[in-house]
Amino acid sequence: MRGSGKYLPIVPVLAAYALLLLYGLAAPGKWQLVAQLAFYCALGQAFNLFMGMTGYVDFGYVAFLGVGTYGMAVTISSLSDGGLGLGIILIGFLAAAVFSTILAMAVGAVALRLRGAYFAIATIGVNEGFRYLIEGARIWNGADGIIFSRHLKTALGRKMAMTVSTFWADIFVFGVAVLAAVLTLYYLRNKVGYALLALREDEDAAKVMGIDVTRYKIIAFITSAALAGLLGASGWALKLTYVYPPDVFEIHYTVEAIIIVLLGGAGTLMGPIAGGLIYGVSKYFLAITLPGFQLLIFAPIIIAIIVIFPEGLVGILKGKVHGTSLEKFVI
Amino acid sequence: MPLLKCEHVSKRFGGMVAVDDVSFEIMSGELMAIVGPNGAGKTTMFNLINGVFLPDEGHIWFAGVDVTRFPSYKRAHLGMGRTFQIPRPFASATVQENIAIGAMFGAAGGELNVEEAMEVADEYIDLIGLKAHRNKPAGGLTPIEKKLVEIARALAMKPRLLLMDEAMAGMNPKDIDQMVTFIRHIRDVEGIAVVAMVEHIMRAVAGLAERVMVMHQGAKLVDEPTREALNDPRVIEVYLGRQAEEFNAKG
Amino acid sequence: MFFEQLSGNLVQGLILGSVYGMATMGLSLIFGVLQVVNVGHGAFIMVGAFTALILFQSLGVPPILAIPVALLIGMCLGMIFYYGAVKPLVSPSGAGIRKVGRRQLGKAAGVFVAVMIAMRILSGVLDLNIAFSIFIAIILMYAFLVYVYGGRRQEKGPELATLLVTFSLGVILEEVVKQIFTSEARGYNWDLGKLDLGFTVLPFTKILASGGSLTVAVLLYLWFNKTRAGMAMRSVVEDSVGARVCGVNVDWQYALSFSLGIGLTVTSGVLLTMFIPVGINPYMGGGYTLKAFVIAVLGGLASPYGAFFGGVVFGLLENGSYTLLAALPGGEPFALTRFFSFVMLLVILLIRPTGLLRRKG
Ligand SMILES: Nc1ncnc2c1ncn2[C@@H]1O[C@H](COP(=O)(O)OP(=O)(O)OP(=O)(O)O)[C@@H](O)[C@H]1O
Ligand SMILES: [Mg+2]
Repeated sequence: MRGSGKYLPIVPVLAAYALLLLYGLAAPGKWQLVAQLAFYCALGQAFNLFMGMTGYVDFGYVAFLGVGTYGMAVTISSLSDGGLGLGIILIGFLAAAVFSTILAMAVGAVALRLRGAYFAIATIGVNEGFRYLIEGARIWNGADGIIFSRHLKTALGRKMAMTVSTFWADIFVFGVAVLAAVLTLYYLRNKVGYALLALREDEDAAKVMGIDVTRYKIIAFITSAALAGLLGASGWALKLTYVYPPDVFEIHYTVEAIIIVLLGGAGTLMGPIAGGLIYGVSKYFLAITLPGFQLLIFAPIIIAIIVIFPEGLVGILKGKVHGTSLEKFVI
Repeated sequence: MPLLKCEHVSKRFGGMVAVDDVSFEIMSGELMAIVGPNGAGKTTMFNLINGVFLPDEGHIWFAGVDVTRFPSYKRAHLGMGRTFQIPRPFASATVQENIAIGAMFGAAGGELNVEEAMEVADEYIDLIGLKAHRNKPAGGLTPIEKKLVEIARALAMKPRLLLMDEAMAGMNPKDIDQMVTFIRHIRDVEGIAVVAMVEHIMRAVAGLAERVMVMHQGAKLVDEPTREALNDPRVIEVYLGRQAEEFNAKG
Repeated sequence: MFFEQLSGNLVQGLILGSVYGMATMGLSLIFGVLQVVNVGHGAFIMVGAFTALILFQSLGVPPILAIPVALLIGMCLGMIFYYGAVKPLVSPSGAGIRKVGRRQLGKAAGVFVAVMIAMRILSGVLDLNIAFSIFIAIILMYAFLVYVYGGRRQEKGPELATLLVTFSLGVILEEVVKQIFTSEARGYNWDLGKLDLGFTVLPFTKILASGGSLTVAVLLYLWFNKTRAGMAMRSVVEDSVGARVCGVNVDWQYALSFSLGIGLTVTSGVLLTMFIPVGINPYMGGGYTLKAFVIAVLGGLASPYGAFFGGVVFGLLENGSYTLLAALPGGEPFALTRFFSFVMLLVILLIRPTGLLRRKG
């Protein structure tokens, strides 16, 4: 683990994403599937950064994607006449990250002081709460949502707007996935990762060791939330060019994130990729063959994983390659 | 100046007074034992010193700082290390990682990066003789090995005060002897003050501690050099009284 | 005028609150005994709502008589879920899983295929959906692994696991109900007339719901305090190690409390539909889960009676805040009330986080 070798595990990660992207570019008919898979991998990577690394589950996680989506939507719909060109997207991403970071700080200020189950209780209403705030106080157009395809065309021109929502949005999702993976690996290999490992295992003992657990929880929480915001801004806002509150605060996305992380292995680097791909592909086929049944089938699978394979796929794989030359690559 | 100073410290759980108006001091490099029967409040006393609980009354100074309201991690940065009554190493982390975590975040923390901490960990692995288990998850070790890992983890923090809860519980006489030698060695080599907590006054205390504080029902009963404590009628009363009770209960 | 409005609000809030309180007792009971937060709470309320709806609409059973049926359904569900999914994570004597290797997985896959084939053959007769066959096959495969190879307690702390498991149980219920009844919102109309108090009008069904809730709460109190079985369960809440030493079968108490907690929750679903007999749909539980958490932390998460009183307080607050928010220009009072309960949750957790943890000690 010493020296330059410590970041080696990024190689298989980048390879996996590159292969996925190449496949999508080579088989245009499958681009939607590939984009969807990238979205799930990114969702898993981002969610894992908090849930996997700390052992705390945030049931309101989708709210961060939701406000990120709004960040992009509000930016584009209000600045489209400013002649910013493509810069507007950059500002949109910035707004998305800022919005989700602010929400994370607000929620975290309360929730992160709480332990275990109380944390889950504090977060479970965040998505609904925020949705009802937007609808109830008629913020950002309230329950009607924001449709900004027109604004996007004004800002970028018809053709570019089209390419952005059909192609670049998905590329940005890949970007978020890679960014999340890089941050995960960086954390895992540095003090943050060891602090999180310690607090996940035994929070009191971690404190006694000199670990400021709240600080590290906040770091993980905010990183994870900001990534979720970027994901909402690219995978939802730019791709769909509208935002509608009941959709972007839908708890099912949190469920999906949980499934992906558990399938692949919580707290690992590659788990979310494995989980995201497996979940995405099986959901894709289930959606064709058995529309509307995905959760019926996945919910018992979550339970089975928790009871029977709590370490997830990559966790099991790690055990298998322990002591072999592949060990350095699998985390 | 004492390294640690507790002044009229009390802690209640509901109606029960677990620690009752306890005051005492520890000097740098001292070897002290806190003894007392089950439920006397020893672990609670440690939790107070260490910041796992905050006291309801009283003050605690450590290294000249009033740490009464400090969270435990800040006390650790000032140089407090601790082991638990039931060893609590981080189960999924390897032995090396466990000890490195101590080095990374303890009093020495600040400056060490992960690689340096791992090197420090290796030194302590040699010290406790667990080289063979270096890359194994700590969760799979025997209780004694876990205890050793915990001690090494605490030492890697470079503490000025080491609090050891039930340092010898569940050990056979040979292990106890080794542990006593080991603790004395730590003190002599690293100059760390050690407060060990033991349920019963016995060989270990006599061999280990220079000073004994006896707790009974949350209060400090005596605080004196080991030799005197062992012969103190009040101490004998607590232990013999208890044994007499147990005897009556059985008979 | 003002006083009429106020007393109207007070009465409405009180009777709503008593139903809310009852709807939270199961959550607190389960947490008190097992230290498990049932994140799927609302889904069980939904099951109760459907029980009332179906019994009333297809058999003409008045909802108040659906209560024993709901209790029974709930207790059965509770037992199944406890032994199937919760016990392996929390049981003091342990029933987790040994190492599952290739051989076990092979056999489990065999079970899966066998069940699938059996279900496909059956489907010729019963018109079963293939997704249901997969669902059943997964569950039986899982049951096979847990029961044939179960044995040792899991090493890791159970908290995260129990949260995720109860959450998934809720999702399973929602999805099963959705498959059977679709996700369209339904309602029923049970009219017993109204009571006019002058300052406010109360339908008798609401009064009955409130009375039913109080009755259940009182019965639970008597059971806890006057019967041996109830006292055994209470002893587990107070001190599970002590209870074990005194010869209480803690394992069985866990199963019983989980089952009773779920039974109470399903029952409360019946009572809630008597209060609000519309909007019955598979996903109706989410809002109630949130409310139940607010109520539970208000009253002390581990205490069923605390929960009941928390419910009454919450009913009053919710009713009052709805009236106030409705007076606010430019807002949507319904949505704002739901936002309000979320804010309340955070505020309570913010001001009393240590007090709330008191019982855990
Ligand atoms: N978190 C807590 N909540 C409530 N009571 C507690 C708590 N911790 C300890 N107590 C009580 O405080 C008293 C003192 O306990 P403590 O663990 O400090 O004793 P001890 O001297 O360490 O005993 P032992 O030899 O059993 O370790 C006991 O009666 C115990 O039940
Ligand atoms: Mg103790």
